[in-house]
Amino acid sequence: MWRHRHFYLFISPFFVLFGVFGLYPLLFSFYLSFARWDGLTELTWAGLGNFATLAHDEVFFTSLWNTLAIGILYVPPMFIGAFVFAIILNTAWLKFRGFFRAAFFMPVVTPMVVVSIVFILLYGEEAGLLNYLATRIGAKPIPWLVSEQWSKPAIAVLLVWRWTGYNMVLMLAGLQSISHEYYEAAKIEGAGPFQRMWHITLPLMRPIFIFCSIMSLIGTVYMFDEVFVLTQGGPGTSSTNFGLYLFNVSFVDFKFGYASCMAYTVAFFVFITSLFILRLRRSGLN
Amino acid sequence: MGSGAPSHNTALAAICVSSLALIGATFASEPLALDPNVSAADLTGDIQVWGWNIAAASLDKLVPPFNEIYPKVRVHVNMTGANLQSRFLLSLSAGVGAPDISQLQLAEAARYSRTRRLTDLTEVARKYEKDFPASFWKNCVFEDKVYSIPWDMGPCAVFYKRDLFARHEIDPASIETWDNYIAAGKLLLERSGGRVKMLALGTGNMEGLFEILLQQNGGQMFDDEDRIAINSPQARRVMSVIRKILEAGISANLTPYTHAFYASFTTELVATYPSAAWFGGTIKDYAPGTSGNWGVFRLPAMEPGGLRTSNLGGSVLVIPDQCPQKAAAWAFIEYTLCTREAQIEQYRNFDLFPAFLPTHSDPFFDAPDPFYGGQKVRRLFSQDIERIPPLNRTKDWFEALRYLTQSLSKWYADGMGSTEDFLAQLEDKLSRRLGRDVAPREPSEGS
Amino acid sequence: MRILTHVLMICLAVIFLFPFYWLFISAFKAKEQIFTLPPQFLPHPWLVQNFVKVFHETNIVRAFFNSTIIAAGHCSLSVFLCSLAGYAFAKFPHAPGRNRLFAFVLATMMIPGAVTLIPVFVVLCKIHAINTYWAMILPGAAGAFGIFWMRQYILDSVHNDLIDSARIDGCGEFGIYWRIVVPIAKPALAALGILSLIGVWNNLMWAFIVLRTDDMLTLPLVIYLLNGELRTPYETIMAASLIATLPLVIAFLLFQRQFIQGITAGAIKG
Repeated sequence: MWRHRHFYLFISPFFVLFGVFGLYPLLFSFYLSFARWDGLTELTWAGLGNFATLAHDEVFFTSLWNTLAIGILYVPPMFIGAFVFAIILNTAWLKFRGFFRAAFFMPVVTPMVVVSIVFILLYGEEAGLLNYLATRIGAKPIPWLVSEQWSKPAIAVLLVWRWTGYNMVLMLAGLQSISHEYYEAAKIEGAGPFQRMWHITLPLMRPIFIFCSIMSLIGTVYMFDEVFVLTQGGPGTSSTNFGLYLFNVSFVDFKFGYASCMAYTVAFFVFITSLFILRLRRSGLN
Repeated sequence: MGSGAPSHNTALAAICVSSLALIGATFASEPLALDPNVSAADLTGDIQVWGWNIAAASLDKLVPPFNEIYPKVRVHVNMTGANLQSRFLLSLSAGVGAPDISQLQLAEAARYSRTRRLTDLTEVARKYEKDFPASFWKNCVFEDKVYSIPWDMGPCAVFYKRDLFARHEIDPASIETWDNYIAAGKLLLERSGGRVKMLALGTGNMEGLFEILLQQNGGQMFDDEDRIAINSPQARRVMSVIRKILEAGISANLTPYTHAFYASFTTELVATYPSAAWFGGTIKDYAPGTSGNWGVFRLPAMEPGGLRTSNLGGSVLVIPDQCPQKAAAWAFIEYTLCTREAQIEQYRNFDLFPAFLPTHSDPFFDAPDPFYGGQKVRRLFSQDIERIPPLNRTKDWFEALRYLTQSLSKWYADGMGSTEDFLAQLEDKLSRRLGRDVAPREPSEGS
Repeated sequence: MRILTHVLMICLAVIFLFPFYWLFISAFKAKEQIFTLPPQFLPHPWLVQNFVKVFHETNIVRAFFNSTIIAAGHCSLSVFLCSLAGYAFAKFPHAPGRNRLFAFVLATMMIPGAVTLIPVFVVLCKIHAINTYWAMILPGAAGAFGIFWMRQYILDSVHNDLIDSARIDGCGEFGIYWRIVVPIAKPALAALGILSLIGVWNNLMWAFIVLRTDDMLTLPLVIYLLNGELRTPYETIMAASLIATLPLVIAFLLFQRQFIQGITAGAIKG
């Protein structure tokens, strides 16, 4: 053991940091799920009380529904866009490839605060650019940020803008890792472009798609910055997703026990869903 | 690593113990005591004050006169409204970053007092106890120590539109009880062909009216031992008034403080607004053109001869315990909240009704107010303030209020079922969600 | 067909870049111009006052400084820890328990950050690290993904012969790490560093929670807190936003390849 002391020495910083900021919080959080604590006064035991409250918490279920709705609104267009862009960027004859890649990826490196504020300007009800353009083509202006129906689409549009480039880059890397031999063999056998796509590209892209799906799932559930700055979850609770609600319960209401209970419950379901998605990968590889 | 049961238990025990170490940390707050050797002219300090909009503006305006007495104390009033509660609580928890003075709503004072992160002001503030209404002072005291100082309050009355009342021949002097009020509302509805409603009552936000009525009646959400006491004869009477208002159809379903609500100040949809003194400021802000058309009559009583006022809202100032310049902070609070001239200035310029009772004898209270057609509304608001019963708020006030709002909304949407059932269910919900016992019931008087 | 595709792509690229353009011009507009109808596509005149206002009314220079320190600290700590541990897992095949420990590391990747927010806050409060740079640097510095990625890279690209001969020459273990492994692994280190950088530079939520006084704020936080003011000073906000966006955008344009590599690293192998 002493012979290998360097091994243990080199990995110990990770384990120490993980112990303090990962493992201990994980266990403490679990313990808190069964308690009532505001971080300032004494902690009281609540047993399953938090879970019972959670089951009847209308805002919690609204936040889950909002998360799902936002996801449904933005993930499909983003995925399709990313994939199409990736394919186009992967073609041999495309010029300005670097420019396109940079243009689509730039939203990813921008602070979300800035993105949200710019979109607040663009979404302005009377003087926002989007509504101005809409009125010019004869359509009605959309109350993006002040209406309960439009607050989620407002966030969804922002998310598509933000994440298409990111997923595009991932998918591009995936496309580039598919060996040309497959395509050549298929061409020799007379397969047309759509058949090549269906039988070669899509199956071999499966791992990437699965990775992107899981990242999107986790991202949508826990997303915070965009909602916090753009709508604060409003109007009402129409755009409150889970990430924002968790923050509100934790650091506005200061209900640490209840927040931990909520976080654990949702994390558990996200975990199960991720496993399910990963299982799709396993079944696909043949 | 061995995986026998004993090592699991010791690990668990270690976690529990260290967790308790993390959790249990009572901050002992030493009461603020002033150094008698430091005179006002010599007191130094550089203090940050947090507040929101008008209130902060009014404090800011008082800084120059304050500096005439305390020339070496610099005051910065910070008007950030965004996430104030979150940032304040985070700073209190962390022990760093809190301002030297912060504004709080009266209704939250109890919650913050219990955190033990506020300065104990008993020694310096006790002498002012008689200068504030008992109902307010009670919320500022915890475990017999003073943690916050009352600032402005919201004595309740009814704002009404003179032209609508005149046109439909409703005499405000005839409204003495809630029954009178409702009857007048029905008359108004009839005489205007159904167009004019007596009040605006958003069915999704009935907690404001509920709170006014409950306090007027001496009802409680929590008893003195912090148990749930909502299922009481007083609450039943409150529900009866609300039920009668809704059944008579004399209310307009407007969500308070929305665009449509403010618009109602200038249209003919709503004739009266039972609210608090600060509401006048709201009307002036949103409908300045209606000056002269407003009047105020006293809040209707539950029964003839009953109390005709209540309280809604109000703020306090607190000094977080981490403040390094408590003497300077206290000097500012004492000047702005406990002197007649500062409190009168705030009322004069910003419509903040002073909680400091000695101001009420100022001639300003007897001056006619042109906005209300020359009526002496300030004197009206100041009547019977000492008789307002205190409301025991505990640290869970706002959460309880949220449950109340949701329950009332649901009760209305479900067709206004029996009051007995409603209160029983609310009591049960509060007890479970807040983890508190239910107070033993008083004998029922029937509603 | 090809021309059509190019045209289409250029249009889309313009749409994607448009918000940046709007940010840029809004930063130079007077407050009234930001919300006029019809929207102005070019500021008249180009106001530099906004930027002057930013420097006067906010602590943006200090915030820039804070963000830089925090980013430098977090990234270097993260890169250092992950490469050190990655090297250990890659090149010490005989250490007992190595595989199980590595499996444990991989398992930690499944812990969602959201569950640990409150406890980490509480821990930082108790060790009085709130409102310090450590509060932003330490949590999340040791990421399992980084270790996984470094281990993979080192396994593939550092030959055992190099290490063995260095050992024979009497080079200490840490020396081997520092003088042999690190230079070879530079591309991977850069990619990992950049990944860390994006995460911590733009972070708003955690900064909002742990940074409590004006002199410790980071760039995103300064901008956010401006936003909450009563009379929102949009012209100042836009100017500050432009200042906050430029560093990473410029870094990205200069080091595009490394950025992309950092992002794609996990997807391909993972």
